[in-house]
This record gives sequence, C-alpha cells and structure tokens, in this order.
Amino acid sequence: MNEAEVLAYVKAAAVAVGIPLDDARAQRVAGHLGRTAGMAQLLDDVSMAEDLEPAEVYKAAAFPVGAA
Amino acid sequence: MKNPPAIDLVDAIARGERSAAEVLEDSLARIEATDQRVNAFTHLGRERARKEAAAIDAMRARGEKLPSLAGLPYAVKNLFDIEGEVTLAGSKINKTHPPAAADSVLVARMQQAGAVLVGGLNMDEYAYGFTTENTHYGPAHNPHDLARIAGGSSGGSGAAVAARQVPVALGSDTNGSIRVPASLCGVWGLKPTFGRLSRRGSYPFVHSIDHLGPFADSVGHLALCYDALQFSDALDPGCHALSVQPVNGKYQQGIDGLRIGMLGGYFSQYAGPAAREAVATAGKALGVVELVEWPDPAIARAAAFIVGASEGGALHLAELRTRADDFEPLSVDRFISGALQPAAWYVRAQRFRRMYRDKVNELFKHWDVLIAPATPVTAPAIGTEWIEIGGERHPCRPSMGLLTQPISFAGCPVVAAPLWPQAGNGLPVGVQLIAAPWREDLAMRAALVLEQSGIAHLKAPSL
Repeated sequence: MNEAEVLAYVKAAAVAVGIPLDDARAQRVAGHLGRTAGMAQLLDDVSMAEDLEPAEVYKAAAFPVGAA
Repeated sequence: MKNPPAIDLVDAIARGERSAAEVLEDSLARIEATDQRVNAFTHLGRERARKEAAAIDAMRARGEKLPSLAGLPYAVKNLFDIEGEVTLAGSKINKTHPPAAADSVLVARMQQAGAVLVGGLNMDEYAYGFTTENTHYGPAHNPHDLARIAGGSSGGSGAAVAARQVPVALGSDTNGSIRVPASLCGVWGLKPTFGRLSRRGSYPFVHSIDHLGPFADSVGHLALCYDALQFSDALDPGCHALSVQPVNGKYQQGIDGLRIGMLGGYFSQYAGPAAREAVATAGKALGVVELVEWPDPAIARAAAFIVGASEGGALHLAELRTRADDFEPLSVDRFISGALQPAAWYVRAQRFRRMYRDKVNELFKHWDVLIAPATPVTAPAIGTEWIEIGGERHPCRPSMGLLTQPISFAGCPVVAAPLWPQAGNGLPVGVQLIAAPWREDLAMRAALVLEQSGIAHLKAPSL
C-alpha cells in the first residue's frame, strides 16, 4: 500500500468499526498503520505450512464440570 | 560457591532486630522525602500498610513462625487490583471505575507471605509504552538522573526500587515492560515464563502475551518474592503452571556445567556502546566464549507488535469510539491503528508464533542460558523523540523494546541484571539472562553469579 492507499484504508476501516477520525488523527493513524504494514510484510514472506495452527487455540472446558 | 548475600530486611525482622513497623516507617519516610521528584507512586496506602506491618509484629510477639516475606515493604504497578482502590492502569478513563472488590491474586500471595503493601505505582497508560511519560499523572523520573526516563511501562516499579523507596515491587511485561525499566533504573527484574504466574485481578493489555513479575534490590529478594508468587491458578485461563517450582535451593548452585552463550546478530546490531560493554562484561564473568544466533528476532518483534496492537486496540474499542481524547496522547493513535489492523495480519502473527516457539526451544537444546542487552541504550532524556543506534536514527519510544520483544514473544523467562558500564557515564543498562521456558532457576543461577562477582548490583542514587 502506498501512503494514499493506507490513508484510504484507515478512513474506511474506522467507519467499519465506528471510530470517528478527523483528518489530522487519520493522518497520524495512517503513519502508524503504514509502519505496521511493513512488519506484516515480514510475516507474509515467511513460508507456513497449511496445517500450522495459531499459537493460541480454543480449549473446550471439561464437561461435566470437574471431569478430566 | 559463597552463600547468597544476606536478605537483610527479612532476616532482621525475623530475628527481631527490627520491627516490621520500623521498616515500614523508613520506607514511608523515604517515599515522602523523594517522590515529589521521582513520581513513582500514584497512591500511598498508609493505613493498610500499617495494619499489615502490625500484624507481622504481633505474630512475632506471639512467637509464631513468620512467613517468607514477613515485613518486607513493596508496591505494585497500578494495574494490579488493590481492594478498595480504583485500578487506574495508568489511565484517566479508569478513574471513574468502581474500586476493586478484592486484591489481585499476586497481591493476595504477597500478603499471605507477609509482605507489606505500601501503594500503587506509575505506568504508561494501559501498559502501552516503554517510557512512563504519562501525560495524566506525570512522567516517572529516573532516580539516577531525574531529567531522564525510568523506562516503561512499569516505570514506577523500576524507579521505586532504584530510589530505595521499597526493596521489592511488582510489574507487568508484555514486550519488555519489566526488563526495560529494570535496565534503565539499574535494578533486578524477573519476567517469568509466559503462563507461570496468575494474572487474575490485573488489568490486561495483550491477553496473548501479558506476563507479571517482580522487581527487587537483590537476587535474594527477587527469588523470595518470585517463589511466594507461584501458584497454579485453575481460574486464570492464562496461567499454565502445573506445579510450583521454587528457585530457592536451586539458584545458589553456581554455573558449573551450564552452557552459556551470548546472542549476536540482531542483538548486537541494535546495541549501543554501553549495552555492548555491559553484555561483554557479563559474558566474561559467566565464561561465555560463543556467539549465538537467535531465530528470526526481527520477524518475532513484528509479530509481537501486530498481536499487541490488535488485541490492545480491540480491548479499548468502546472508549476509542466515544472518548479518544481522554486517552494518553502518546499512544492513542497506536491503539486506533491496532484496532484497524486486518485480521489476516493478526492470524498470521499467531501462526508464526507457534513455529517460532519450536525454533526457540530447539535452540535451548544446545544452551542453558543466553545473554543479551535489555535495552539498546541507557535512559534517554524525557521527551526524546529519536535515538541513534549503530549510526542509524530510530524512534526513541518503541526502540526501547527492540531487544526484549522477541524474547517475551517466545515466552522465555528472563532475569534483567543491573550493570554499570563505563560508557554509561554513571547510568545503568541491564543484561537479559534468558533461559528455556519453565527454567527460571537457570537464569537465577547466572544472576546470583553476576551479583556475587560484584558487577551487577544497585547503586544509591543521589536524590
């Protein structure tokens, strides 16, 4: 994403999650998100097997309560 | 191997040479005398502290056996619940929350062990920062140079121990928030294994990465405190400890037979002259001869950043929608950015974390302890925007965590040891003593050797 695309994304995503942004704040947030996009690119470049699961996975609780 | 240094206060109280009340009044007097300049405390709880100290003295008068931390004054980062107090988590927004109905689990553990709670400590708002330049409550000042930062986000914890206000404090560490202030203030800090200590009753920042742990003025106090905090908490989904594994009795064993290496590459690239000197000095004392490459540190830092920003932003979404102007100006835009991150970034970071964990554990098949600087530089001046590392300009605030973030993302336990390199010109810088998950005992063994060799220790600040 170039700078204009990051700014456009920030404005659209802020509407989607309901955060009001004035132009100055949108610019500052876009600066942060642009740097994070660079970090995300590092992760994009990592080869991952399709069965590689996230580190945190949901664990169903024992049922009935107290069962092993 | 010599015996560990005397654990002065606890020993003196146990022997009846000093009362818990006297030790507490000394602590309160020191806080009164210094905290207008240090700004470590956001809350002093004199009444509770005096009751707790009196209870210890009464136990001793009755001839009862005293618990392990009897009479030791301590304070907690203000994200720990303290019964009857509002848990600020460094924010203005939380001021309107109701007071905590009960102590957090770790405060309760400290009380059971006989420690005396003095109050709550300054921090970066919602723990999102490495500098404790808190706009609402004022910056925490470094006791060794009041114009400089104390580090963060547990800046009040580091500063309170360094200023000799309390011998022990509790803090939290998601990306470096115990190790960074320990490094910049010159005190001991322990970030335990992810999942080791219960987080129940503490205000969260990033559920996937948050850790809690102690700061102390000596390795002995650090060990006593850490052992008292251990507890397998079935009610905390983030507590993965299956048993209590005390370090007392193990950390005094010395380092004979331990395979200790020094991290190179990324960890050298982002270390300034004082940090390099500190880690070289520690390496010499620990008999290090080999440089070791940590797997994918830059990618791990990126993944930790993405997970932290996303979870932190989502946690505060309701307030970001309605009262963003009440947030800390230094971090509110980062919180919003995190709340807007695409889900694919977050999920990929969490998938990377699983493969990363396996790579890090593979490394520890060959090593017992690995050492690295805790911060790239000594404490910068409050308000610093940019720092230089290796001839490159970096934004100051996030860069304080460059060397800690990759380690905590793997969940490894780390002791931050306070060293005083010549290149620091009177300021400290910490060295991370890193062990495999669940092996705090190994990092503590190296810590005690550094303390006994005389190169890692606190220095009295000229306040």
